[in-house]
Amino acid sequence: MYQDFLPIIIFIVLAAVLIGVPLGLQHLLSPRKNKGGDKLISYECGELPEGSAWVKFNIRFYVIALVFLIFDVEIVFLFPWAVVFQDLGLLAFIEAFIFVLILLVGYVYVWAKGDLDWVKMNVRYGKGRYANLQSKGETS
Amino acid sequence: MSNLSSLSFYIPELIIIIAILLVIVLDVIPVCKKYTFPLSLGAILLASVFLWQSYGESHGLFMGMISIDPFSHFFKMIFLLSTFSIILISRYEKQLDSNYSAEYNALLLIVLLGMFLMSSSINLIMIYLSIELVSIPSYILAGMLKNDKESNEASLKYVIFGSFASGLMLFGLSILYGITGSTDIGVVTAALQAIEYPLSIYFPLILILVGFGYKISMVPFHFWTPDVYEGAPTPITAFLSVAPKAAGFAILIRVFYTMFTLEGSVSATLPLTNINWPTLIAVASAVTMTLGNLLAVQQEDVKRLLAYSTISHVGFMLMAFAIISPDAVRAIMLYLFIYLFMNLSAFYMAIFASNKLNAHHINDWDGLSRKNPVLCAFMALTLISLTGLPPTAGFVGKFYIFAELFKHQQFYWLAVVAILNSVVSLYYYFKIIKSMYLVDVEGEVNKIEAHPVVNWSIILFSAQNILFFIYWEPLIGFIEKSINLWSG
Amino acid sequence: MENYSTILALLNLFLPLLSFVILIFFGKKIGNSAHWVALTLIGSSLGIAVSFFANVFVDTGGPILETSVPWFSTGSFSVNLGFLINNEAAIMLLVVALISFLVHFYSVAYMKGDPRYSRYFAYLGIFTFSMNGIVLADNLLMMYIFWELVGLSSYLLIGFWFEKESAADACKKAFLTNRVGDIGMFIGIMILFLSIGTFQINGLIDGVHNGAFAGNMGLLTIAGILVFMGAVGKSAQFPLHIWLPDAMEGPTPVSALIHAATMVAAGVYMLVRIFPILTPGALEFIAVVGGITAIMAAIIAITQNDIKRVLAYSTVSQLGYMIMALGVGAYQAGFFHLTTHAMFKACLFLCSGSVIHAMHHALHELKDHDTDPQDMRNMGGLRDKMPITFWTMLIATLAISGVPFFSGFLSKDAILAGTLSYYHLHHGWTLFLPIAGFGAAVITAFYMFRLIFLTFFGKPANDKVYAHIHESPIQMTFPLILLAGLSFALFFTLPLSVNPIDNHGWFTEAVPMIENAAGLDMHVVEEGIHHAHYTAMGISLMVAAIGIFLAVLFYLLRKVDAAKVAGMANKLKLYNLSFNKFYIDEIYNIIIYKPFLALSWLCSKLDWDIYDQKFIDGWGWLTIKLSDKSGEVDYNWLDQKVVDGFGKITQYFGKTLQSTQNGVVQNYLLGGMLGVLLLIILIQQF
Repeated sequence: MYQDFLPIIIFIVLAAVLIGVPLGLQHLLSPRKNKGGDKLISYECGELPEGSAWVKFNIRFYVIALVFLIFDVEIVFLFPWAVVFQDLGLLAFIEAFIFVLILLVGYVYVWAKGDLDWVKMNVRYGKGRYANLQSKGETS
Repeated sequence: MSNLSSLSFYIPELIIIIAILLVIVLDVIPVCKKYTFPLSLGAILLASVFLWQSYGESHGLFMGMISIDPFSHFFKMIFLLSTFSIILISRYEKQLDSNYSAEYNALLLIVLLGMFLMSSSINLIMIYLSIELVSIPSYILAGMLKNDKESNEASLKYVIFGSFASGLMLFGLSILYGITGSTDIGVVTAALQAIEYPLSIYFPLILILVGFGYKISMVPFHFWTPDVYEGAPTPITAFLSVAPKAAGFAILIRVFYTMFTLEGSVSATLPLTNINWPTLIAVASAVTMTLGNLLAVQQEDVKRLLAYSTISHVGFMLMAFAIISPDAVRAIMLYLFIYLFMNLSAFYMAIFASNKLNAHHINDWDGLSRKNPVLCAFMALTLISLTGLPPTAGFVGKFYIFAELFKHQQFYWLAVVAILNSVVSLYYYFKIIKSMYLVDVEGEVNKIEAHPVVNWSIILFSAQNILFFIYWEPLIGFIEKSINLWSG
Repeated sequence: MENYSTILALLNLFLPLLSFVILIFFGKKIGNSAHWVALTLIGSSLGIAVSFFANVFVDTGGPILETSVPWFSTGSFSVNLGFLINNEAAIMLLVVALISFLVHFYSVAYMKGDPRYSRYFAYLGIFTFSMNGIVLADNLLMMYIFWELVGLSSYLLIGFWFEKESAADACKKAFLTNRVGDIGMFIGIMILFLSIGTFQINGLIDGVHNGAFAGNMGLLTIAGILVFMGAVGKSAQFPLHIWLPDAMEGPTPVSALIHAATMVAAGVYMLVRIFPILTPGALEFIAVVGGITAIMAAIIAITQNDIKRVLAYSTVSQLGYMIMALGVGAYQAGFFHLTTHAMFKACLFLCSGSVIHAMHHALHELKDHDTDPQDMRNMGGLRDKMPITFWTMLIATLAISGVPFFSGFLSKDAILAGTLSYYHLHHGWTLFLPIAGFGAAVITAFYMFRLIFLTFFGKPANDKVYAHIHESPIQMTFPLILLAGLSFALFFTLPLSVNPIDNHGWFTEAVPMIENAAGLDMHVVEEGIHHAHYTAMGISLMVAAIGIFLAVLFYLLRKVDAAKVAGMANKLKLYNLSFNKFYIDEIYNIIIYKPFLALSWLCSKLDWDIYDQKFIDGWGWLTIKLSDKSGEVDYNWLDQKVVDGFGKITQYFGKTLQSTQNGVVQNYLLGGMLGVLLLIILIQQF
């Protein structure tokens, strides 16, 4: 039974070697002096970087990514269905229809709440330059 | 059975699903937004009506994904009751922003649906799915107070720890699938009994226990509990302390009694050979109780104190889980039912205190008995019941659990630990009572009235403490009928 | 059918109790409408009693209702509760219910305006409940319980106007005297139980019949006499008759109900129930006691001036008759007299109440608080002003005096026949019994008509008072009329004969002579009674005529001066003897009360001065010293060091463990991972 684990051992060894050997070789062959300076600047396709890389990302990237992910997974589910649904009959069609309908409700929600806009107009508690924005509906 | 024919047995859940969708839709239409509250309440009532009608039947639905049986029926009633009450009372909680009330209700309904599925799931994938369906809306609900730092912090910690635990659980489930070749619990059970190397069962068992233990706040997976309970809005804390714990126990009982016992059903008496998980659970129970109590002794914040106390209650229930027998299941189910009422009324009292008096610290509760004697009396009753003193229902619950230990003559040391823990718990529960009754407040004392809904919720839930002490026979009878898992 | 009857019997028993409960708790709120509650409930109870009574006319060969349920049992000893309604019980039930209802009705007017109006009806309710209990009881223990309850009700009712010291004393006296009798009764019941093994009456009769006391008849005699002591107390026989005259302190309707018709008859009823187990020896004792009582009370009644006292002693005397009847074996006659006596005595009391009520109102209007409204010497000539009262009282008096066409004649006649036949059988000293019987008959006729003449005839003693007298309202006169009607002989002899001297009727059919299981041959007794019947009738007619004639002579026609005769009699101190009740109360005072109080003083001195002050307090001082010391040890050592020590340990652990919950998520996850690893290691160890 233990013979089945042989490939794993080989892979582990290979992984260790493939990483360890270049690193060890580089350490042996690299110059001791002259580390640092301009050689450590991050590469930005030839442009010089300005400021710190640690900026606060706009949270709307996250929201868009999240929404994208949801509907992408929906499509992933629909692909295999699309291939075989003709053999499965009316029932499968209705089930998929309901599936899409439920996600459609989610879509309507996201749309109506303004999450699909880059700048969300339904702002509550606006501060600073957003204090005078019109908020859409929902003052109930 | 096939998907279409399963639908006719799936009606309560369908009602909830439709309610969720409608609430979301109505939320979007500004005119209809005010109907979301009655809609959610109505959906829960309707679901419970249909649920009662179908009591007693036992089916496996959706080709072996879910089973509708009396066991899940009992737990569904607990979920419906707690969700109904929480939705009702959240409306009168000052902290929650009423602008988000529709999403709030929808999320609670989704959690409810998830719990329904949790108590019914008999497929490994369904187990994971239902736990996630409960957890993810809970993360959002814990962070419902958008401008409160503590709430956001609570939500984030909940997410992180939750994903960690879910990940480990999924790992365990996949190992189980790997060694048995199927995701259906029945097939897994049969396969597990044929496996020779115990180590390959230890791993998945522990890892699944991580996932379930996280849900029920078992030590060492309890770390999220105090922070989340303290930061979340109080109705959510109340909800989290009752319903997902009950769901966790439901799925724990179902999975462990089916997969990891020799007989493979709820009337089992022995664990799988060489896998002595009852002793492990006993140790975990002892540690949970002790830790919960010792940590609670230090607390000055009422909500955090109640959070720790829920951990110790879980330890107590695990004590009965360490015995494998249908009577133990009965004891756990009885305790969960009584615990629902005790805990909800204690938390509602905390809602009342924080709404009207902004009282978070125990010292803020000083002299409360003069401001609202009726509610304080009922709170005192609830606290006595939580300690487990007669003549309250808490005593009945604890009694049944102790009785299990003595009936099966195992783990006497656990009983000793439990009794010592009861003594310690008396201290911090009575700290609150002392604060309410025995501390004088100088100056003017005006009476403070609670909102009628809050008032009557506290009174009605707390009154069950006496009711179930005097007359719990029908409850035990109902539970015994409900210990009936669908198999085959 | 049996269940239906049981339910009816239960209702009959408990409706009066319901009246009591409602009126005690809600009486203040109901106030002056209390009588509606009481009347409705007692009326329903009456209706049920009537329905049972109807069954008397249906001969089913057995009792109308006989049912029992187990109450409690300890090992071999078990006690039941049950009802036994045979014909006697049905008749008695009707008597109790009817008179109770009529008294309730009467009291509406009599007690109007009393501050404790509703409580009065409540007490009447509990009395009716207890009396029904005695009647319905099928075992002696249950009867004993209700026996005591009746005593309690009597206490409450006699002392109703407890602000009057004499009333408070009277009710205590009644209760205590009853208790003395009850001691004997209980010992007797226990002897019977220990010998036969059951409390059930039918069981006892069977037991005696089957020879439980064979060879030990003396014990059965003693048991019988002891049980009879209860009747002596309850039915006011010599020597425990002292409470009945004093009990007249209660309201007159109460006297009518309790001390004339029902409670005092309970003793007789009890003897009727257990008659089959009374041996000839016990019966002889009973007869003698009855005879003494009859003649003694009659003699006392001659000289009394208070209208209620006369009637009280008359009651004692008539009860003596009934007891004597049972003693000589005339079982049917005794019970018959009980029934007829209930009717006419209640009528007499209610009439006297009517008179007193009228006198009271008249004196009140004249603002005269010194004259006694009950003293017959203050009355006179009332018959024109109070016709209905007069005629009904006259009818009742004719009944009690034994005049033909009235019920009393039939019953008394039967008793006297019984005494005569007893003498014929036994000779010797038993001549005393017929002499006592006929003697008492003379005297009864005399003093009853004395009462009538003094009250209703002659000149009024006080004209001013007389002017204010008027007839009582219909609520008071209706019961009088009804009861007077029931005092006619016709009522009891239907439907068989209308012959005034033949006492056969539905009553004699319903209550036949019963078999005695303890050695008395009832056939001999019956025959004897038959033979003596006409003799007794003749003598009793003669005797009644003499008594009435003397009364007419003394009081109507005033031909002979009563005072002079009294003075003459007093040469032998006879008048004083009669007026002062044979000095019995004073004798009891010297030989019983005083020694007992002295003994009690001695005991209290021993107990308080010596035992309590010195001995008990000494222990107390010792205990306090010990407790001081142990308190010190407990607080300074046990509490501060040991118990607080545990608390400190717990807090310490709590603080240490608190550091695990530091809010850093990464630490939580680490803790979780470590937990997983620990669990995996642990599970392999178990």
